[in-house]
Amino acid sequence: MKNSALLLSLSLGLLVPLKSLAQGGNTQNRVDGYGAPATPAATRGAAGETELNILMSYYQQDGSHGAVEGGRGTEHLTNLTPTIILNVPLDTLSRLSANLGMDVYASASTDRIDQVLSSPSSSDTRFHADFGYTRQLPGRRSIVGLGAGVSTEYDYKSVNVAASWAQTSRDGNRELSVAGQVFFDQATIIRPVELRTNGRKEDGSAPRQSYNLSAVLSQVLTQRLQVSVSTELVYQKGLLSTPFHRVYFQGSTGALGEAKVEALPGSRFKYPVGLRLSYYASDLVLLRGYYRFYNDDFGIRAHTLELETPVKITPFFVVYPFYRYHTQTQARYFAPYLQHQPGEQFYTSDYDLSGFSANKLGLGLRYSPVYGIGRFKTPFGGRIAQFKALDLRYAHYRRSTDLTADIFSADFSFILP
Amino acid sequence: MRLLFPFPRPGRLARLAVVAGLLVALPGCVSVAAYQKVYLNDEDMKLATKRVETYETNFESYREGAGGANGGKVGGGCGCN
Repeated sequence: MKNSALLLSLSLGLLVPLKSLAQGGNTQNRVDGYGAPATPAATRGAAGETELNILMSYYQQDGSHGAVEGGRGTEHLTNLTPTIILNVPLDTLSRLSANLGMDVYASASTDRIDQVLSSPSSSDTRFHADFGYTRQLPGRRSIVGLGAGVSTEYDYKSVNVAASWAQTSRDGNRELSVAGQVFFDQATIIRPVELRTNGRKEDGSAPRQSYNLSAVLSQVLTQRLQVSVSTELVYQKGLLSTPFHRVYFQGSTGALGEAKVEALPGSRFKYPVGLRLSYYASDLVLLRGYYRFYNDDFGIRAHTLELETPVKITPFFVVYPFYRYHTQTQARYFAPYLQHQPGEQFYTSDYDLSGFSANKLGLGLRYSPVYGIGRFKTPFGGRIAQFKALDLRYAHYRRSTDLTADIFSADFSFILP
Repeated sequence: MRLLFPFPRPGRLARLAVVAGLLVALPGCVSVAAYQKVYLNDEDMKLATKRVETYETNFESYREGAGGANGGKVGGGCGCN
């Protein structure tokens, strides 16, 4: 309690002197699953231009602690994610956005649900679509937004609604943004083949709801330095376990049929706090930092630290190496293969909920000339569009539980006539 | 009480980060005019994850028990593979 009081007083101390504040610009760039972009920069100026972003990523992971087989077995997974984001200004104050995409994935782990390799469970495609509307209130420095979205895959459907509000200070040096979002999900119950009671692969469905409320306060401190403090309270209820995750208990031989289906509580409360900093160290080098403290009622406590140093090779060409470190304690319901006690109420052998540390290292490149990379005629009416910028990024991720991952991402930005 | 202030026993690193943020913020009572924001308006100075980075924050939210407060995904989608 003493520590909590200390943290509260220091946090308030951080907020009080922020009266000089500057440009916030704390847009949350959620590519997927977020219907209402909080404060798109384009709404602050004139009518603006129609922006089109074509994004994609290729993700691959491998490991030896697959949750489907009770904390052992392959975790090999590949995922390809083409996405289109469209931002259309309606007038000088309002803007529409659309975000359409898919995840095409192949999972060696879920292929073990029925023990028949290369079965239909080995791959799937998830589609998602999110739409948002933002409007700057006339004569005020407020921007409000509304959004909604859907996503669907073979065994999981999700609908979400979102709302946001952002207020900038008179001198433009401070911004407070608040956003709320609710997800209504429906998961199809698919149990491992040897644990099905009615002989059918699917056994009805179960709901899951997620409610999240985020708040971000950003502040310009000097001509070269700005910071933000953020929090995002998340409450989930419903089916939080995965019905095709097996758990093997002490005393069993690990043979098929001796497992139980993963069981987790029906609610979860998460409360992370983040601190972000951007510093223009010299005309060539910038520093970007992020720290997050995370806590939840599953017993997981985590610290995450990110550092990025963009280097301006030319005014239009930036190279940015980055590093991320994450460490977390294990959920109180986690135990490895054959380590759970038979009498436990909740249990999982999913290593995503285990205690571990993880390192991520990578490099990004961005090329964004003032007048764009190139121009071309659009197929509709022969009008001229501009290829504005290119952003490429690669990262290697390694977890202390033997999981490794590589991800390559690209963002192609266009201005449409 | 726990619900009103749900941060039981923050670690030493967390407290250090808040103190560091406080020290950075204290000299910040200087108003920066719009014409002085040439550095602040730089694309790399944005206080948010880059759009191209969001795929990474999404997979991290699935592969780690922790998530949120970083512009990443917090719901919608199984991610159970």
